[in-house]
Amino acid sequence: MNAALDDALLSAWIDGELTPEQRAEVEAWLREHPDDAARVRAWGADARALRAALDGVLDEPVPAALAQTVWRRPPTASARFIEGSSTWRRAAAVLAVFVLGGAVGAALMGRLQRPPSVATTTATTPAPGGAWVQRAAVAHSVYVPEVRHPVEVRAQEEHLSRWLTRRCNVPVKLFDLRAQGFELVGGRLLPDASGPSAQLMYQAIAPGVTGDVSGGRAATAAQPARVTVYLRKPDDATPAAFRYERRGELGLFYWVEGKSASGGPIGYALVGALPREQLLALAEAIYRQEAEPPSSQGTGKETGKEAGKEVGKETRK
Amino acid sequence: MFCEQLLGVIPRLRRYARSLVFDRHAADDLVQTALERALAHWHQFDQRRDILVWAIGIAHNAHLDERRRHARSARVEPDAPGRDDDPGANHPAVSPDIGLQLDLARALGRLPLEQRETLLLVTLEQFSYAECAEALRIPIGTVMSRVSRARVALRALLDGGSAGDGQGAAPPQGATLRRVV
Repeated sequence: MNAALDDALLSAWIDGELTPEQRAEVEAWLREHPDDAARVRAWGADARALRAALDGVLDEPVPAALAQTVWRRPPTASARFIEGSSTWRRAAAVLAVFVLGGAVGAALMGRLQRPPSVATTTATTPAPGGAWVQRAAVAHSVYVPEVRHPVEVRAQEEHLSRWLTRRCNVPVKLFDLRAQGFELVGGRLLPDASGPSAQLMYQAIAPGVTGDVSGGRAATAAQPARVTVYLRKPDDATPAAFRYERRGELGLFYWVEGKSASGGPIGYALVGALPREQLLALAEAIYRQEAEPPSSQGTGKETGKEAGKEVGKETRK
Repeated sequence: MFCEQLLGVIPRLRRYARSLVFDRHAADDLVQTALERALAHWHQFDQRRDILVWAIGIAHNAHLDERRRHARSARVEPDAPGRDDDPGANHPAVSPDIGLQLDLARALGRLPLEQRETLLLVTLEQFSYAECAEALRIPIGTVMSRVSRARVALRALLDGGSAGDGQGAAPPQGATLRRVV
């Protein structure tokens, strides 16, 4: 081939878009034409410079307004469900969810062996932990699909616990969830309304346990399931209730320890796209490890706050 | 499910938007518009597809709409400065080499939108040509030629003018690399 090789072919070679024959042809051409080889190298360098210039955006915290846009308008609750249901059917659905939630709550209380108490949160009143639990859910959704930067500090680094403890002003324990099939990936520091909070990320050890991560391009199909533990210094008014909430695919257990083994009160939120029972097992393990030596705190409240989210299941694969 | 997937792609939508409009607030406004449209049309999303490709296609259309609106208002007020006139002036990306960033941003801003956008999807998002074609709704062959024209034009701009004349006049390799490394 004597004519100059098409630029489009050279360019597609960089992007790995050629057939093996075309690739061989381009590579042979580049060996004999150093000018073209230099141009192709320069294009590659430009691409790296572009990435270097803009990759920083990926590490910026997502503006709350953007995340709120998505949470505020759960798509499943808006269009089809409401249009297709009469008012009383909706009321019945809400009631059914509430009753189911109560039953599940009662089951949870039994398993946790805490003094029973009445679930106080109905489908229409927001949970007291709402705002920070929402931040925990958003932080989970943002970082869990990350392949390159899932955490700031890897689990292997000794200072992880000390660093988070110092910065969050609450004792951050690195829980051992290996018995439940999850190992620590690492942690990161996050901004919260009232100060820094910490996120610990755990990943399933067994290769069979995979989360549903089909949506994240950054995630490969075989990425193991991940759960995150969100810790923060709680607001004074936050009650020490043990609660369960479901937001679409995500399940959340959250509670506040008034007096932890190693100091002041800590708010916990465990987030994961896992079945309720599996998430509960993890929450229990965290609760037990946190409570060594056992804390005197002991009220148990659960909620089945699922109205409006329930229809989300229709859309899942 | 859908909400979580959408939340997960926000960082990449923001990067894509930033590479289109440069200004941080304008870029986040674009992301906001794209998210709202995605939520309004969630039922059109096929779960077997890549949500990032889908969402970027929406952001792409939102950006085109924005530009059309902008063009209309610019006709009414001829003095209104175009947002894309000097993108380097407010380029927010953090980098140790400010000089290079400004060069890059300016050069990028001078590329025709369709070239810039295609190049960014392929280099930044690392979309395959097929994904790029899907997001922009253009044939794969068009992706291929736009990317190569964008590369040639960008390099020419960074070399200081004379677009399209890369063939015999490639600069010494050392000089080229010093600019970007």
